[in-house]
Amino acid sequence: MSLAHFQDAMVRLILDPDFRDRVAAGDDVPGSELDARETARLQRIARDPGLGINRTLHKGFRLGKLRGLLPFTCRVLGTRRLCDELARFWRDHPPASFYFLPEAVDFCDWLVQRRLRLRYLDDVVAYERATLELERARTGPPPVQLVRFRHDPTALLAALSQGRRPRGIPERPCVAAARVDAQGKAVWTLHVRDAYNSTPSSDPPQAPHLVGATEVATRKVSPVT
Amino acid sequence: MRAPLPRLGVGLAYQAPLSAIFDAAPCDVDYVEVVPDIFWTDRGADAVPRHLDDDAGLARMRELHARMPVVPHSIGLSIGSAAHFDRDHIAQIERWRGRLDFPWHSDHLAFHLADHGGQRINAGITLPLARDRESLDLLAPRIREVQRSVPRPFLLENNVYYFDIDDGEMDEATFLNTLCRESGCGLLLDLHNLHTNALNHGFDPMAMLRALDLSNVGEIHVAGGMALDGFWLDAHSGAIPDEVWTLLDWTLPRCPNLGGVTFEVFGSWVESVGLARIREDLRRLRAAWARHLPAPAHPPIRAHAHEAHVAHACEAHA
Repeated sequence: MSLAHFQDAMVRLILDPDFRDRVAAGDDVPGSELDARETARLQRIARDPGLGINRTLHKGFRLGKLRGLLPFTCRVLGTRRLCDELARFWRDHPPASFYFLPEAVDFCDWLVQRRLRLRYLDDVVAYERATLELERARTGPPPVQLVRFRHDPTALLAALSQGRRPRGIPERPCVAAARVDAQGKAVWTLHVRDAYNSTPSSDPPQAPHLVGATEVATRKVSPVT
Repeated sequence: MRAPLPRLGVGLAYQAPLSAIFDAAPCDVDYVEVVPDIFWTDRGADAVPRHLDDDAGLARMRELHARMPVVPHSIGLSIGSAAHFDRDHIAQIERWRGRLDFPWHSDHLAFHLADHGGQRINAGITLPLARDRESLDLLAPRIREVQRSVPRPFLLENNVYYFDIDDGEMDEATFLNTLCRESGCGLLLDLHNLHTNALNHGFDPMAMLRALDLSNVGEIHVAGGMALDGFWLDAHSGAIPDEVWTLLDWTLPRCPNLGGVTFEVFGSWVESVGLARIREDLRRLRAAWARHLPAPAHPPIRAHAHEAHVAHACEAHA
């Protein structure tokens, strides 16, 4: 199994800069698992500038997939916070597959557990996680997704879908339910969780991601219109 | 390579933003190459079924298959992984052969899967194999198993590498020649990978071409790239550079078993390269093909597949 250990160590050189630096310095080589030739090869690779290109490509690919799957979450986090959180997340979550939807869902759950004090983040993470669950490859229809919003989802999602960071979105606790219709399209239904507004709106919210929603002042999920 | 491939001509790697080229009549390509893995989801070894096809993607491939051959170029096998050999992936390729009856298929001579602490890790990029006898002994029986499981010629692509394992027991040409001879696989000769490796590691690409047994070459890849941090990247981000045209012009007439030349451009770069420039390169490729090799002639196996497809469609509409 020496070759398997060598390949494992080669991948770790790309994923883990601390490991790379220790190997390059001769401080950390899994010598008992590698033969002398493999050990020497690993140390040369750790010192090779081409390794940095592999790391750049690896991170760029992984980051690109995540940004594509969670565009609103990434926008609310902002570049610096996103990089910080991803660095922490990736430290404990090595990439397992070319299919990144499960990783994006795991990142959503991880962000929720982090309890970051960042306005709108919980709403947006819950919304995008639900969207991914509807898109997840499965043999049967996906279960209905319920998303509890604290802020007005119409205004919040409209701002994000226009490429803006949301500002000044009013609080408006409500629940949105999502399911997939016969054509495979996500259909969202919105209703106010409590009688927050004294007069229910007769107009459906116009946010592009809440197509066909109906708003009612009730806890029940409304039929889709 | 144990059998010559059908001579298809010039192909284009499938990307949705290139649809205008695939759907044009007359069409500038003779076949479409596709990374089939993007049209299914691998839910993991424990899932049943493990692979779920994307219906829309498969329908698009069937639509194209009615007009031209579809050639799969997979990214998922990781045939060089010491810790993994994914027979489920091979079975999925064979299922796709049942749907698209491709004339050959290919993957990468590299690895991207490893194990760490009992957990599978996917590097997401193709990593180099040591050019040693140990690697050949790992690869050859696996290639033979692929050939038994998917009864179509199987090609492996020479890898691009930004760091090398440079003390191998063989040089790259000797390693590739030996692998093809011992396993019976063909070579997908990626000339842009060769150009990239030559630039980044300072060797003469012509010397490697002269040392290769070009009778093993079943397909050629061409592409463009870009510079980053002092390296040239195989980014599939541009038109075909002059250096790659030079390599192609030398190589093309020396490959007696060649099935096709495929141009690769990633979808995210199509707009900046421009469809007009991509078409221009495709026409230049077709001119080179016509100059050096007989005109594309669809092989009997394709004709049968096409007739069966049409018959099936007629039954469905009857």
